Amino acid sequence: MTERFDPFLLEILWNRLIAIVDEAAATLVRTSFSTVVRESYDFSCVLTDRAGNSLAQASASIPSFIGTLPKTVRHFIARFPVETMRPGDIFITNDPWLGTGHLPDVNVAKPIFRGDEVVAFAASVAHAPDIGGRVRAPDAREVFEEGLRIPEMKLYDAGVPNAGLLELLRANVRVPDQVIGDLEAQLAALAVAERRLLALMDEHGLKDTEELAATIHARSEQTMRQAIAALPDGEYRNELQTDGLAVPVVVRMTLTVAGDSIAIDFTGSSDQVDRAINVVPNYRDAYTGYPLKCALAPRIPNNEGIWRPITITAPPGSIVNPLYPAACGSRVLVGHYLTTLVLGALARALPARVIAATGSPVWCVNLAGQSRRATRFAAMFFINGGMGGSGRRDGPSATSFPSNVSNTPVEIMETVAPIRVLEKRLLPDSGGPGTFRGGLAQRLRFQSLSPKPLTVSFLAERTKFPATGLFGGRDGAVGGVKIAEQAVDPKATHIVPPGAVIEMTTPGGGGFGDARKRDPERARADGEAGYVSAASRPAPARTGARASGARRPASGRRASAAAPGTARASSSRTRRRSR
Amino acid sequence: MILGVDIGGTFTDLVLVDEAAGRLWIGKELTTPRDPAAAVLTGLARLAEASGRSPSTLARVIHATTLITNAIIERKGAVTGLVTTRGFRDVLEIGRESKYDIYDMFLPLPVPLVPRERRHEATERLDIDGSVLTALARKDVVAAGRALVAQGVEAVAVCFLHSYVNAEHERAAADELRRRWPALAVSCSSDVAPEIREYERTSTTAANAYVMPLAGRYLARLAGGLADAGAAGSLYLMQSSGGITSVDAVRAAPIQLLESGPAAGALIGAFFGRLTGEAHLLALDMGGTTAKLCLVDDGRPAITYSFEAARERRFAKGSGLPIRIASVELLEVGAGGGSIARVDELGLVKVGPDSAGAEPGPACYARGGVEPTVTDAALVLGYLDAGFFLGGAMALDAGAARRAIDRVAHRIGADTVRAAWGIHDIVCEQMASAARIHVAEKGKDPRRYSLLATGGAAPGHACRVAAKLGLRRVICPPSAGVASTFGLLVAPPKVDLVSSYVARLDELDLPRVEKLYEAMAADALAQLAAVGVAADQVVFERRGDMRYVGQGFEIVVPLPSGPFGAAERDTLRSAFEAAYLDAYARLIPGAPVEALTWRLTAFGPAPSAAFLTAAKSGTATGDARKGERAAWFPEFEEFRPVPVYDRYRLTSGVTITGPAIVEERESTVVVVPGATARLDPYGSLIIDLAGGPDMAPRPPTLGAPRETRGAPRESG
Repeated sequence: MTERFDPFLLEILWNRLIAIVDEAAATLVRTSFSTVVRESYDFSCVLTDRAGNSLAQASASIPSFIGTLPKTVRHFIARFPVETMRPGDIFITNDPWLGTGHLPDVNVAKPIFRGDEVVAFAASVAHAPDIGGRVRAPDAREVFEEGLRIPEMKLYDAGVPNAGLLELLRANVRVPDQVIGDLEAQLAALAVAERRLLALMDEHGLKDTEELAATIHARSEQTMRQAIAALPDGEYRNELQTDGLAVPVVVRMTLTVAGDSIAIDFTGSSDQVDRAINVVPNYRDAYTGYPLKCALAPRIPNNEGIWRPITITAPPGSIVNPLYPAACGSRVLVGHYLTTLVLGALARALPARVIAATGSPVWCVNLAGQSRRATRFAAMFFINGGMGGSGRRDGPSATSFPSNVSNTPVEIMETVAPIRVLEKRLLPDSGGPGTFRGGLAQRLRFQSLSPKPLTVSFLAERTKFPATGLFGGRDGAVGGVKIAEQAVDPKATHIVPPGAVIEMTTPGGGGFGDARKRDPERARADGEAGYVSAASRPAPARTGARASGARRPASGRRASAAAPGTARASSSRTRRRSR
Repeated sequence: MILGVDIGGTFTDLVLVDEAAGRLWIGKELTTPRDPAAAVLTGLARLAEASGRSPSTLARVIHATTLITNAIIERKGAVTGLVTTRGFRDVLEIGRESKYDIYDMFLPLPVPLVPRERRHEATERLDIDGSVLTALARKDVVAAGRALVAQGVEAVAVCFLHSYVNAEHERAAADELRRRWPALAVSCSSDVAPEIREYERTSTTAANAYVMPLAGRYLARLAGGLADAGAAGSLYLMQSSGGITSVDAVRAAPIQLLESGPAAGALIGAFFGRLTGEAHLLALDMGGTTAKLCLVDDGRPAITYSFEAARERRFAKGSGLPIRIASVELLEVGAGGGSIARVDELGLVKVGPDSAGAEPGPACYARGGVEPTVTDAALVLGYLDAGFFLGGAMALDAGAARRAIDRVAHRIGADTVRAAWGIHDIVCEQMASAARIHVAEKGKDPRRYSLLATGGAAPGHACRVAAKLGLRRVICPPSAGVASTFGLLVAPPKVDLVSSYVARLDELDLPRVEKLYEAMAADALAQLAAVGVAADQVVFERRGDMRYVGQGFEIVVPLPSGPFGAAERDTLRSAFEAAYLDAYARLIPGAPVEALTWRLTAFGPAPSAAFLTAAKSGTATGDARKGERAAWFPEFEEFRPVPVYDRYRLTSGVTITGPAIVEERESTVVVVPGATARLDPYGSLIIDLAGGPDMAPRPPTLGAPRETRGAPRESG
């Protein structure tokens, strides 16, 4: 195509668009109350063209928001046609199906006018300090229990605030000043994006964003398509089980490569459940698209073009396409697995660009009760498992993936909660052996110093099914939760007596490649550092040994802290059918 | 007489000053990596000869070095061990568990300086208030020491949980180690970085131990060499914080030298900014490989207390080893004169962060470089004179520059000049983008700033960068190319100390805080006395790291000077709120505030450095115009003859109208069309840009959303 923008000007304009959303993001971070926003980058900002196709997304946001905001903008456009929009309009929603998959994420969007014309949208999403309802409860049965739901509405109508909505919002959340304050921070970000985009258009004499959008999308799409076209055509299947609730959740995926496009379908996955682990399509697509971008186009700036060659479908009513009013507040417990599922499916086609399964989703402990001085406290601490190994290197130990959540330092944990941490260490032998082994898991043990019983709940997965190895690499160790030396159900809420010790052991990452082919120098170093104990070194090669991923039950590697290992464990299989 | 010495990776820069005579001499030697002191001593001998002055008349030698930074980057420090609290040997490896790039599944994570087999545990435990829960098991320390010595360590870091409140256990362990193995370099976290957060503290202490033996040997060699040259007892060192200190202070905490060179660069920017009367400066130091940005408010460079060494990716925040020391806050961008232009997978032209460096250098250096660089683009556009690079000391090859630029031009079907302008424009855009986001993160209004250009490449790009940012003024101090060495001459003696005591403000024991400050002040006075500062000349500044209870990060709050008594509780809260508003534009109503860390900075008087400006205010010598050459500007879309001025012959009365080019030895100033330039009395070239469309960002006003404040209050 003939482009009006030569590669120099396009570089300047594109770079500026990214700088605009990054500056909007900096403004949001700077002016928000929420520590989730500040510390975990649990927010995003985008610019879209007038049809709601993203031009640029802020660089620092976590994968949960990949591609969600443009979809939300398109929902707004469908509800409030562009021709009817007026300067000063601002739209809002936190509906899980329109937004990011759970209620705390509040989405806002603003049409940007140049003269009488809408030329673009600025949009932002941020995890609100509170949204009412029950406090983070994986056992919520319907979305109604999870807080206030705002359908797509006008927060501002031609510059006039929707006082009724604001009043309702204030009345339904625990910290109204902070919630409204964060909303203002989001609007400040939109204002920055609007001003900067208009200045850019003035500076370069752009009447609209359509030609620029088309150029950016076309180039990105073309690059993505080239990367896909390099993959052999075919159907790549993968499936896995999560610990789930009473019964495991099964997620099945067929990834079809046809020419320069990819179709992913989740037919065969579990039905939606009456607990809060359902994954709505926007969130599903984010964690399904994320590994595709990592593997195929890690350096291309995030915009609509790279998603065009990819379609993702799932049967209505399934765990990855749940119907209203499914609860979905703890979507992370299934959603983070989707990344592993995609990487496993791509493994045969793209062995050099994938990693073995990671000891994710992210783990978390919630503590509430009385402090050492008998005042009320509540605290939440994250810890991570090991990342999967790859064809290039061992998986990093205790590293957050696919999310990106930091831990809390031990000294801070002890300062903000009535606990004494007894141990926080890497767990030898927890990384799946391999040519490149999985990252090590970690063990956190702490004792309650509270004078009263503590209320304790967890986010914990892979206590039954390990992170699987790839290409003959072995599985990582499963995790487990113990209270007072007893394995407990990590999905339940526990009342922990004073003095009791809580132990959380995260899952290790899967190994990559046959452990017997491990560089002897690495194996020696593993032994010296104590990453692998002498007893666990791989046995010398035996003729005829099967070189594929281990299929033994989890309990074979290390006693699972929770339910005993099951024979159904570890069912990640990768199969390719030629077309 | 004063000597300033800056040892860089390639060159060792020296500046010798005779204050009384108002004269200075500049020297440049190739750095001698195996014995860095050698280049210093050679350079000194050469300067002594050139100036006819004897080293024995040196009052001070002020020194900055990249030795420490490079030792960590290149992993050339000592074999180091760690002794830590039982249960926590992996803290140094687990780190903070997050990644600095979410799309790179193979991203290299920083490798700890102490591997797991050299991390030993000792039974001991302190509570959060420092009280002893479990006494230190000395036998564990001895066992660890034995094992470490057997492992061949030369240095040991000691870091126990909560040692920032009570250093007893660390000191006891260190004493034990030193007593039994006197040759070991031992570093305690309670001395180096007594701040809460065990990973960052351990990382800082490990890095310090790692460089102690090397720094000790080097400083002894340099001091000895200076003594032999007759300049005994005169050596001072530049710290990352932008203050100078004594050799003895640095021996125990050499990690303080990490960013000493760049700190000097920021200081000279601040110095000339003060002379010009600009309260708010964006200091841009653009050299061969990178550009460094630093915000200077009210004459002082921004300081950060969390810093990184040896980044895995130089320009990726979070990819390095955390170092908790006071350091001038610099934002580094991969944009320098040697930055290479290429066409990426999307068919776009990218500039940097790869650099041709000094070897082979840009194509026009004709030393074998063929890739197109920023310097090649400037030469093709006529901004540089092929015959007057480094004052004519080095001829540039314009043909080689064109051929290099054509490599990019041909790939995308552009002509040479369009490609050269594109590269120039893109590199300016990169610096402007980085600055824009940095300023937004700090919550500052960019329009208040003037751009101060130092480093060889900055004056040629500064006008465009400023225009992109909506800034109206550019300041080019004299001798921009060697300015950072001058920074050594304007640095005050300075000590930064820190103590941790975590408490909510409403429960804070203020007399306890005052005791911490008294102890730090006594320590600071002793350190400053060692560099010859009398107690009555010392200025103290107090700061506290505070946050709302429940937040994960603190802000650094300037505090009143004290003493703190019960009456200051409200003062501390107001100080926090003022700083919080400044940083985040809003307060959290009713939320409790806590303090974690208490900081004391003690300054001695800064040298007046009148010689720097006196030497520059030369007398008028007629017309400074030395000719003209064809240069390309987008305003004309063609080459036009542009006047070229000799900076050394400019007088303060004259106004130059752009387009124009002003040349000095180490840099070339490009005055863009429409801008006007004049010389100020201190030798700085002040360029005022023409008012164009106001692209200047406004501060984030909340605009319409402000009305939500009128919304009904919380319902009962």
